[in-house]
Amino acid sequence: MTDLPYPIEPLDLAAPLDRHRATVLKEWIDWNGHMNVGYYIVAFDKATDTFCNQFGVGWEYTHRKIGMTFVLEAHATYDREVKEGDPLRITTQILDHDAKRVHCIHAMYHADEGFLAATNELILMNIDFASRRGAPWPAETMRRLDTLAPIHARLPKPPQAGRVIAIRKK
Amino acid sequence: MPDTLLNEEPLPYALPELDLTAPLDRHRAVVKDEWVDWNGHMNMARYMEAFDYASGAFHTQIGMGRRYIDNKLGMTFVLEAHITYDRELRGGAPLRFTTQLLDHDAKRLHLFHQMFHAEEGFLASTQESMIMHIDAKTRKSSPFRRVVQERLALMAEAHGKLPKPAKSGRLIGIPRR
Repeated sequence: MTDLPYPIEPLDLAAPLDRHRATVLKEWIDWNGHMNVGYYIVAFDKATDTFCNQFGVGWEYTHRKIGMTFVLEAHATYDREVKEGDPLRITTQILDHDAKRVHCIHAMYHADEGFLAATNELILMNIDFASRRGAPWPAETMRRLDTLAPIHARLPKPPQAGRVIAIRKK
Repeated sequence: MPDTLLNEEPLPYALPELDLTAPLDRHRAVVKDEWVDWNGHMNMARYMEAFDYASGAFHTQIGMGRRYIDNKLGMTFVLEAHITYDRELRGGAPLRFTTQLLDHDAKRLHLFHQMFHAEEGFLASTQESMIMHIDAKTRKSSPFRRVVQERLALMAEAHGKLPKPAKSGRLIGIPRR
Protein backbone atom coordinates (compact mmCIF):
# COMPACT_ATOMS: atom_id res chain seq x y z
CA MET A 1 0.00 0.00 0.00
CA THR A 2 1.17 3.51 -0.69
CA ASP A 3 0.10 6.84 0.72
CA LEU A 4 -0.63 8.17 -2.78
CA PRO A 5 -4.23 7.89 -4.07
CA TYR A 6 -3.40 6.56 -7.55
CA PRO A 7 -1.50 3.60 -8.99
CA ILE A 8 2.24 4.01 -9.50
CA GLU A 9 4.21 2.16 -12.16
CA PRO A 10 6.43 -0.68 -10.87
CA LEU A 11 9.85 0.50 -9.68
CA ASP A 12 12.54 -0.09 -12.32
CA LEU A 13 15.72 -1.21 -10.54
CA ALA A 14 18.00 -0.68 -13.55
CA ALA A 15 21.01 1.53 -12.84
CA PRO A 16 21.04 4.08 -14.31
CA LEU A 17 17.33 4.42 -15.04
CA ASP A 18 17.07 3.92 -18.82
CA ARG A 19 13.44 4.47 -19.80
CA HIS A 20 13.26 7.83 -21.57
CA ARG A 21 13.31 8.15 -25.36
CA ALA A 22 12.69 11.22 -27.54
CA THR A 23 13.30 12.67 -30.99
CA VAL A 24 14.80 16.11 -31.78
CA LEU A 25 11.87 18.18 -33.05
CA LYS A 26 12.07 20.69 -35.92
CA GLU A 27 11.11 23.57 -33.59
CA TRP A 28 14.09 22.77 -31.34
CA ILE A 29 16.58 23.77 -34.09
CA ASP A 30 18.16 27.26 -34.07
CA TRP A 31 20.11 29.54 -36.46
CA ASN A 32 23.16 27.37 -36.03
CA GLY A 33 21.35 24.39 -37.56
CA HIS A 34 21.42 22.27 -34.39
CA MET A 35 19.33 21.76 -31.26
CA ASN A 36 19.27 25.04 -29.32
CA VAL A 37 20.77 25.13 -25.81
CA GLY A 38 17.34 25.85 -24.32
CA TYR A 39 15.73 22.81 -25.93
CA TYR A 40 18.29 20.41 -24.52
CA ILE A 41 16.82 21.47 -21.19
CA VAL A 42 13.27 20.99 -22.52
CA ALA A 43 14.26 17.46 -23.54
CA PHE A 44 15.85 16.83 -20.13
CA ASP A 45 12.78 18.19 -18.35
CA LYS A 46 10.68 15.50 -20.04
CA ALA A 47 13.21 12.92 -18.81
CA THR A 48 12.71 14.39 -15.33
CA ASP A 49 8.96 13.67 -15.76
CA THR A 50 9.78 10.04 -16.62
CA PHE A 51 11.99 9.91 -13.52
CA CYS A 52 9.32 11.49 -11.28
CA ASN A 53 6.70 9.02 -12.53
CA GLN A 54 8.83 6.23 -11.04
CA PHE A 55 8.38 7.83 -7.65
CA GLY A 56 4.71 8.75 -7.93
CA VAL A 57 5.43 12.49 -8.09
CA GLY A 58 4.63 13.17 -11.76
CA TRP A 59 1.56 14.64 -13.45
CA GLU A 60 -1.00 12.92 -11.18
CA TYR A 61 0.72 14.28 -8.10
CA THR A 62 0.26 17.87 -9.26
CA HIS A 63 -3.05 17.34 -11.07
CA ARG A 64 -4.57 16.07 -7.79
CA LYS A 65 -3.15 19.11 -5.97
CA ILE A 66 -0.98 17.06 -3.61
CA GLY A 67 2.40 18.49 -4.50
CA MET A 68 4.91 19.47 -7.15
CA THR A 69 8.61 19.08 -7.78
CA PHE A 70 10.68 22.21 -8.41
CA VAL A 71 14.20 22.34 -9.80
CA LEU A 72 16.39 24.48 -7.54
CA GLU A 73 19.58 24.35 -9.54
CA ALA A 74 20.80 22.81 -12.79
CA HIS A 75 24.12 22.33 -14.56
CA ALA A 76 24.32 21.35 -18.22
CA THR A 77 27.27 20.19 -20.29
CA TYR A 78 26.91 20.36 -24.05
CA ASP A 79 29.07 17.58 -25.37
CA ARG A 80 28.03 17.18 -29.00
CA GLU A 81 25.57 18.68 -31.48
CA VAL A 82 22.34 16.90 -32.40
CA LYS A 83 20.17 17.63 -35.44
CA GLU A 84 16.49 17.54 -36.35
CA GLY A 85 15.07 14.02 -36.26
CA ASP A 86 17.91 12.54 -34.22
CA PRO A 87 16.69 9.83 -31.84
CA LEU A 88 17.62 10.44 -28.21
CA ARG A 89 18.05 8.14 -25.26
CA ILE A 90 18.23 9.75 -21.79
CA THR A 91 19.40 7.90 -18.70
CA THR A 92 19.13 9.13 -15.11
CA GLN A 93 21.40 8.40 -12.15
CA ILE A 94 20.53 9.30 -8.56
CA LEU A 95 23.59 10.83 -6.88
CA ASP A 96 22.09 11.77 -3.52
CA HIS A 97 18.78 12.40 -1.79
CA ASP A 98 17.34 13.50 1.53
CA ALA A 99 13.84 13.93 3.01
CA LYS A 100 12.89 16.70 0.57
CA ARG A 101 15.44 16.65 -2.24
CA VAL A 102 16.96 14.51 -4.98
CA HIS A 103 20.32 15.15 -6.64
CA CYS A 104 20.51 13.39 -9.99
CA ILE A 105 22.19 13.57 -13.37
CA HIS A 106 20.67 12.89 -16.77
CA ALA A 107 22.83 11.79 -19.72
CA MET A 108 21.53 12.30 -23.27
CA TYR A 109 22.83 9.97 -25.96
CA HIS A 110 22.21 9.71 -29.67
CA ALA A 111 20.06 6.57 -29.54
CA ASP A 112 21.50 5.00 -32.73
CA GLU A 113 25.09 6.26 -32.83
CA GLY A 114 25.56 6.02 -29.07
CA PHE A 115 27.58 9.20 -28.49
CA LEU A 116 27.00 11.41 -25.45
CA ALA A 117 25.28 14.65 -26.54
CA ALA A 118 24.75 16.40 -23.18
CA THR A 119 24.30 15.98 -19.44
CA ASN A 120 22.04 17.77 -16.98
CA GLU A 121 22.67 17.62 -13.24
CA LEU A 122 19.79 18.75 -11.04
CA ILE A 123 18.57 19.37 -7.53
CA LEU A 124 14.83 18.60 -7.34
CA MET A 125 12.78 19.59 -4.33
CA ASN A 126 9.40 18.32 -3.23
CA ILE A 127 6.88 21.15 -2.83
CA ASP A 128 3.63 21.06 -0.88
CA PHE A 129 0.82 22.09 -3.24
CA ALA A 130 -1.06 24.30 -0.77
CA SER A 131 1.84 26.16 0.83
CA ARG A 132 4.12 26.11 -2.29
CA ARG A 133 7.01 25.46 0.08
CA GLY A 134 9.52 22.62 0.44
CA ALA A 135 8.08 19.59 2.25
CA PRO A 136 9.09 15.95 2.92
CA TRP A 137 8.52 13.44 0.10
CA PRO A 138 5.42 11.20 0.38
CA ALA A 139 6.25 7.99 2.31
CA GLU A 140 6.02 5.82 -0.82
CA THR A 141 8.33 8.17 -2.74
CA MET A 142 10.87 8.09 0.09
CA ARG A 143 10.65 4.28 0.28
CA ARG A 144 11.36 4.04 -3.45
CA LEU A 145 14.24 6.55 -3.27
CA ASP A 146 15.75 4.61 -0.37
CA THR A 147 15.46 1.42 -2.45
CA LEU A 148 16.93 2.78 -5.66
CA ALA A 149 19.64 5.16 -4.38
CA PRO A 150 21.97 2.40 -3.03
CA ILE A 151 21.70 0.55 -6.36
CA HIS A 152 22.64 3.71 -8.30
CA ALA A 153 25.42 4.42 -5.80
CA ARG A 154 27.31 1.39 -7.17
CA LEU A 155 27.76 3.23 -10.48
CA PRO A 156 30.84 5.42 -10.84
CA LYS A 157 30.23 9.15 -10.40
CA PRO A 158 30.01 10.61 -13.92
CA PRO A 159 32.89 13.00 -14.78
CA GLN A 160 30.31 15.68 -15.72
CA ALA A 161 28.88 15.74 -12.17
CA GLY A 162 30.03 18.30 -9.61
CA ARG A 163 31.65 20.64 -12.09
CA VAL A 164 32.41 24.34 -11.59
CA ILE A 165 32.44 26.59 -14.67
CA ALA A 166 35.83 28.19 -15.36
CA ILE A 167 38.40 28.77 -18.07
CA ARG A 168 41.23 26.48 -17.01
CA LYS A 169 44.44 28.37 -17.72
CA LYS A 170 47.38 26.38 -19.03
CA MET B 1 43.92 29.75 -41.63
CA PRO B 2 46.01 28.27 -38.80
CA ASP B 3 44.32 28.37 -35.44
CA THR B 4 46.94 30.69 -33.96
CA LEU B 5 46.63 33.52 -36.52
CA LEU B 6 44.46 36.43 -35.52
CA ASN B 7 41.78 37.34 -38.05
CA GLU B 8 42.39 41.04 -38.72
CA GLU B 9 39.48 41.56 -41.11
CA PRO B 10 36.85 44.08 -40.12
CA LEU B 11 33.23 43.01 -39.81
CA PRO B 12 31.13 43.75 -42.94
CA TYR B 13 28.50 45.70 -40.99
CA ALA B 14 28.35 48.60 -38.54
CA LEU B 15 28.82 47.79 -34.86
CA PRO B 16 26.75 49.42 -32.13
CA GLU B 17 28.38 51.99 -29.88
CA LEU B 18 30.01 49.89 -27.14
CA ASP B 19 28.08 50.00 -23.88
CA LEU B 20 30.63 49.82 -21.06
CA THR B 21 28.03 49.86 -18.29
CA ALA B 22 28.99 47.10 -15.85
CA PRO B 23 27.17 44.82 -15.70
CA LEU B 24 25.57 45.13 -19.15
CA ASP B 25 21.96 46.07 -18.49
CA ARG B 26 20.18 46.17 -21.85
CA HIS B 27 18.07 43.06 -22.28
CA ARG B 28 14.35 43.05 -21.43
CA ALA B 29 11.68 40.39 -21.99
CA VAL B 30 8.25 39.24 -20.84
CA VAL B 31 7.32 35.72 -19.64
CA LYS B 32 5.23 34.26 -22.47
CA ASP B 33 2.09 32.32 -21.58
CA GLU B 34 3.43 29.28 -23.44
CA TRP B 35 6.44 29.26 -21.10
CA VAL B 36 4.16 28.43 -18.14
CA ASP B 37 3.91 24.74 -17.17
CA TRP B 38 1.51 22.58 -15.15
CA ASN B 39 2.96 24.02 -11.92
CA GLY B 40 1.55 27.41 -12.92
CA HIS B 41 4.95 29.07 -13.30
CA MET B 42 7.63 29.60 -15.92
CA ASN B 43 9.04 26.18 -16.79
CA MET B 44 12.66 25.55 -15.79
CA ALA B 45 13.73 24.89 -19.37
CA ARG B 46 12.36 28.24 -20.55
CA TYR B 47 14.74 30.08 -18.22
CA MET B 48 17.55 28.71 -20.37
CA GLU B 49 15.79 29.95 -23.49
CA ALA B 50 15.26 33.40 -21.93
CA PHE B 51 18.92 33.59 -20.91
CA ASP B 52 19.95 32.65 -24.45
CA TYR B 53 18.36 35.91 -25.66
CA ALA B 54 20.27 37.85 -22.98
CA SER B 55 23.41 36.18 -24.27
CA GLY B 56 22.39 37.38 -27.74
CA ALA B 57 22.29 40.97 -26.47
CA PHE B 58 25.86 40.57 -25.20
CA HIS B 59 26.95 39.03 -28.52
CA THR B 60 25.48 42.01 -30.41
CA GLN B 61 27.67 44.32 -28.30
CA ILE B 62 30.84 42.51 -29.34
CA GLY B 63 29.85 42.42 -33.03
CA MET B 64 28.69 38.81 -33.04
CA GLY B 65 24.91 39.07 -33.20
CA ARG B 66 22.55 37.75 -35.82
CA ARG B 67 24.45 39.41 -38.69
CA TYR B 68 27.61 37.54 -37.75
CA ILE B 69 25.73 34.25 -38.23
CA ASP B 70 23.89 35.40 -41.35
CA ASN B 71 27.20 36.46 -42.95
CA LYS B 72 28.52 32.96 -42.15
CA LEU B 73 31.48 34.44 -40.28
CA GLY B 74 31.17 32.00 -37.39
CA MET B 75 29.00 31.24 -34.40
CA THR B 76 29.27 30.49 -30.74
CA PHE B 77 28.37 27.29 -28.95
CA VAL B 78 27.56 27.01 -25.26
CA LEU B 79 29.82 24.35 -23.75
CA GLU B 80 28.44 24.41 -20.25
CA ALA B 81 25.79 26.26 -18.24
CA HIS B 82 24.75 26.48 -14.58
CA ILE B 83 21.37 27.85 -13.53
CA THR B 84 20.05 28.75 -10.11
CA TYR B 85 16.27 29.01 -9.76
CA ASP B 86 15.74 31.64 -7.10
CA ARG B 87 12.08 32.56 -7.41
CA GLU B 88 9.01 31.60 -9.43
CA LEU B 89 7.68 33.74 -12.30
CA ARG B 90 4.13 33.91 -13.67
CA GLY B 91 2.98 34.46 -17.24
CA GLY B 92 3.25 38.12 -18.27
CA ALA B 93 5.97 38.99 -15.74
CA PRO B 94 8.37 41.64 -17.10
CA LEU B 95 12.03 40.62 -16.97
CA ARG B 96 15.26 42.56 -16.80
CA PHE B 97 18.61 40.86 -17.43
CA THR B 98 22.12 41.90 -16.53
CA THR B 99 25.28 40.29 -17.89
CA GLN B 100 28.74 40.30 -16.36
CA LEU B 101 31.80 39.18 -18.31
CA LEU B 102 33.70 37.08 -15.75
CA ASP B 103 36.57 35.91 -17.93
CA HIS B 104 37.57 35.36 -21.53
CA ASP B 105 40.43 34.13 -23.65
CA ALA B 106 41.07 34.06 -27.40
CA LYS B 107 38.22 31.62 -28.05
CA ARG B 108 36.01 31.54 -24.97
CA LEU B 109 33.63 33.72 -22.96
CA HIS B 110 32.68 33.11 -19.35
CA LEU B 111 29.45 34.99 -18.69
CA PHE B 112 27.16 35.47 -15.70
CA HIS B 113 23.55 36.58 -16.26
CA GLN B 114 21.03 37.62 -13.66
CA MET B 115 17.27 37.68 -14.31
CA PHE B 116 15.17 40.10 -12.27
CA HIS B 117 11.46 40.83 -12.13
CA ALA B 118 11.63 44.21 -13.88
CA GLU B 119 9.01 45.91 -11.68
CA GLU B 120 9.27 44.15 -8.31
CA GLY B 121 13.04 43.96 -8.52
CA PHE B 122 13.55 40.51 -7.03
CA LEU B 123 16.16 38.08 -8.40
CA ALA B 124 14.39 35.24 -10.22
CA SER B 125 17.35 33.27 -11.54
CA THR B 126 21.02 33.31 -12.49
CA GLN B 127 22.86 31.61 -15.32
CA GLU B 128 26.60 31.15 -15.69
CA SER B 129 27.91 29.91 -19.01
CA MET B 130 31.02 28.98 -20.92
CA ILE B 131 30.79 29.87 -24.59
CA MET B 132 33.17 28.90 -27.42
CA HIS B 133 33.70 30.63 -30.73
CA ILE B 134 33.22 28.28 -33.69
CA ASP B 135 34.44 28.64 -37.26
CA ALA B 136 31.51 28.52 -39.73
CA LYS B 137 33.30 26.28 -42.21
CA THR B 138 35.11 23.77 -40.02
CA ARG B 139 32.54 23.86 -37.15
CA LYS B 140 35.55 23.70 -34.82
CA SER B 141 36.74 26.22 -32.25
CA SER B 142 38.65 29.25 -33.52
CA PRO B 143 39.81 32.62 -32.09
CA PHE B 144 37.58 35.68 -32.06
CA ARG B 145 38.44 38.35 -34.64
CA ARG B 146 40.69 41.17 -33.54
CA VAL B 147 37.81 43.67 -33.56
CA VAL B 148 35.82 41.36 -31.23
CA GLN B 149 38.82 40.80 -28.97
CA GLU B 150 39.31 44.57 -28.71
CA ARG B 151 35.73 45.03 -27.56
CA LEU B 152 36.05 42.14 -25.12
CA ALA B 153 39.19 43.66 -23.62
CA LEU B 154 37.38 46.95 -22.99
CA MET B 155 34.41 45.19 -21.43
CA ALA B 156 36.66 42.95 -19.33
CA GLU B 157 38.35 46.03 -17.90
CA ALA B 158 34.99 47.62 -16.99
CA HIS B 159 33.42 44.40 -15.69
CA GLY B 160 36.57 43.37 -13.81
CA LYS B 161 35.85 46.11 -11.29
CA LEU B 162 32.64 44.36 -10.19
CA PRO B 163 32.78 41.85 -7.33
CA LYS B 164 32.53 38.17 -8.24
CA PRO B 165 28.83 37.30 -8.04
CA ALA B 166 27.89 35.21 -4.99
CA LYS B 167 26.03 32.69 -7.17
CA SER B 168 28.89 32.14 -9.63
CA GLY B 169 31.34 29.24 -9.42
CA ARG B 170 28.83 26.91 -7.80
CA LEU B 171 28.71 23.15 -7.97
CA ILE B 172 25.58 21.10 -7.42
CA GLY B 173 25.05 19.13 -4.23
CA ILE B 174 22.81 18.64 -1.19
CA PRO B 175 24.52 20.44 1.69
CA ARG B 176 24.73 18.41 4.93
CA ARG B 177 24.32 20.05 8.29
